Amino acid sequence: MKKQNMFFRMITASLVRRRSRMLVALLAIAVGATILSGLVTIYYDVPRQMGEQFRNYGANMIFLGAADSEGLTPDAVERGLSYIDANKLVGVAPYRYETVNINEQPVVAAGTDLAGARATSPYWIVSGEWPAADGEVLVGEDIADVFDVKAGDTLSVSFTPATAEATTAAEGEDAQEETNGIEMTFTVSGTLDTGGSEENYIFISLADMEALTGESAAYDVVELSISATQNELNAIVDSVTENVSSVTPRLVKRVTQSETTVLSKLQSLVLLVTIVVLLLTMICVATTMMAVVTERRKEVGLRKALGASNGSITMEFMGEGMLLGAVGGLLGSILGFIFAQAVSMNVFNSSITFKPLLIPITILVSILVTGLACLIPVRSATDVDPALVLKGE
Amino acid sequence: MFFRMIRGALFRQKGKMLMIAFTIALGASLATAMLNVMMDVGDKVNQELKTYGANITVVPKENSVLDELYEVDGEEIQSAYLREDELGKIKTIFWAFNIVDFSPFIDTTVTLDNGSEVKLTGTWFNHHLDLPTGETLNTGVTNLRNWWDIESGVWLDEQAAGGTQGVMVGTQLAKDAGISAGDTLTVSTRYGKKQLAVVGIYNAGGDEDDQLFSSLDIAQALSNTEGCLSSIEVSALTTPDNELARKAAKDPGSLSIAQYEQWYCTAYVSSICYQIQEVITGSIASPVRQVAESEGAIMDKTELLMILITILSLVGAALGISNLVTASVMERSNEIGLLKAIGAKDSSISGIVLTEIMSTAVIGGVAGYFLGYGFAQIIGQTVFGSAIEMKLMVIPIVAISIIVVTLAGSIPAIRMLLRLRPAEVLHGR
Repeated sequence: MKKQNMFFRMITASLVRRRSRMLVALLAIAVGATILSGLVTIYYDVPRQMGEQFRNYGANMIFLGAADSEGLTPDAVERGLSYIDANKLVGVAPYRYETVNINEQPVVAAGTDLAGARATSPYWIVSGEWPAADGEVLVGEDIADVFDVKAGDTLSVSFTPATAEATTAAEGEDAQEETNGIEMTFTVSGTLDTGGSEENYIFISLADMEALTGESAAYDVVELSISATQNELNAIVDSVTENVSSVTPRLVKRVTQSETTVLSKLQSLVLLVTIVVLLLTMICVATTMMAVVTERRKEVGLRKALGASNGSITMEFMGEGMLLGAVGGLLGSILGFIFAQAVSMNVFNSSITFKPLLIPITILVSILVTGLACLIPVRSATDVDPALVLKGE
Repeated sequence: MFFRMIRGALFRQKGKMLMIAFTIALGASLATAMLNVMMDVGDKVNQELKTYGANITVVPKENSVLDELYEVDGEEIQSAYLREDELGKIKTIFWAFNIVDFSPFIDTTVTLDNGSEVKLTGTWFNHHLDLPTGETLNTGVTNLRNWWDIESGVWLDEQAAGGTQGVMVGTQLAKDAGISAGDTLTVSTRYGKKQLAVVGIYNAGGDEDDQLFSSLDIAQALSNTEGCLSSIEVSALTTPDNELARKAAKDPGSLSIAQYEQWYCTAYVSSICYQIQEVITGSIASPVRQVAESEGAIMDKTELLMILITILSLVGAALGISNLVTASVMERSNEIGLLKAIGAKDSSISGIVLTEIMSTAVIGGVAGYFLGYGFAQIIGQTVFGSAIEMKLMVIPIVAISIIVVTLAGSIPAIRMLLRLRPAEVLHGR
């Protein structure tokens, strides 16, 4: 008991009396620990955060109607969606295509959930506004050029129920039902620039599409943007295919394949950077600790001359170093989390996931590194004859 | 005398000085590696993002508006074409160096043996091109359709023996028509009939699964459109768009001369499109937003992430170095006390200590730069499979930061020691 008391007294006294030097050592350890916990947190969170950025490329899965079924009804889509984790679902946009007439010229109109389309296709550039209410239309740039319309203009769209040349299968069912053409006037809310075939379409809400065609048919295709790895996506495809017979899920290969390639590169970049930085930082911490301890060779000599055993001297120095390591590690893991959070807010505008396990790991690594760094100079000091050490040679 | 003292300190305290030099070298190598990686990461990631395929499409002017619009009638109207002989000019524009790949396309409809009509696209696969500038280039859809899975057979290669007489078949079409790699396929149009060897079956995961891909010449012969192209896909390294680029994309005429110069001489996707339009007669080049926009977002994020990680490691390295320097200066309180006791002036003591530390720092810094070069190359080779370009700018940055950090670490410690009274220091308090 008494011996232990003395041990602690010696350690605390040494820490308090040699305040400035201990502060230097503590700072070094805290910096090392900050880098450790900060970088590892970032490394673990980067795939998730970057994965979300990759959703900029748009839909990575589509639902098609299976050949021999009632088609892609809202109900079937709902059932298909139930196999996808709602947290990972970035956007869902159902599309229903019909050929309509503007000034007697045929144009493809897409009825969609415009909020969903905006989520699945973040790369669409709209000059003007996205349609907010029914009765508004988003016009592809090519169409806008042809008919010379811009945001704010009105566009009169007519639909003649298909007779012989039914344009979609869904519509074919009602082909016999002869109705006169319906004409509706839409307000152009904006024009759409995508660099793709979307520029030749007009986009209206599903409700408008129903009003225009006078019927509610099944969707032609549903675009989904899911934040998941290729394996998870394959699993979703399998379970939807198996459980929902009327839906055929397909992966958009161009997006999923490329995402896997690029994301794994980015991840290994951050991993390698983390390893290099950690390695160098830990060596830096160790050399600083060594410098601080080497300075006290005289003290080691004096204690030896007073009859302390090598073991007890090593124990004391190690105890001191490890205590510093623990305090520095704790400080560092907090600072590291704050840093990682700042990075995440700045880069990705979202908060980082807190990994509780990282705190004990950081503290442990700090203790190990400082302990080892103390051990080397103390060993070399205790190995030497105290008389020589005290004399300063 | 001054130099003798310095030399003495450096050589006699070899171990200690080596440790300081070592730590400074580590810090310098960390700074060098991170700064170089950070400055090059944009280019590297941009290069990686090319796996998403072309980010610019070029179509004939008259066509861009009418084609898709009237296609719904079922009648194929291709009134205008691009000229094949102008293709090489794409590699002569101002940003030619940024054009990674490009490939021409011509579409036609052919009839198979069983009477079914399928779409045949003629293009380059691995085309060898001699440029007007004297350079050579291999380009084609092998790179632009990176995501294709070759389910059986191989990629078509025009440069291989008999390559030009081959055809690649989409997986859906192959399944429906019972075609497998190695078969011979007879395709015909009203302009002629050809026997083509099936080189490979691909899975593109899209509309392309229902069609055929052949070399450009074959598709042109089958559609009687020699020397004509219906579109060109271009994959270019671009700078993320900003306000200026968006304004210019709408109308380059609205810019002032200075803005125009700046826009034209920056690799924005819109300025590259503009330059392509200048060299290809009657063409409209437009960015594929899906690729161009997303590329910008991802590159911005990656660069910002690397900048912040670099800052953290630089701060860490700086603190590490200045800490060690402080510790090693404080350790010498006895020596400084002694020097003061025998009458040395404060300024000459600081001079000696600083010179010692700085010469150690210079040695460490130079070693660290080369060590950092090695680390940067390890990162470059492991992650991207290519060397990281070493920027000259990094050398002064690292040199200045090392000097500043070493001074910042030693001066306060020296001043503190000088304030102490020699007798007390020597007494060991």
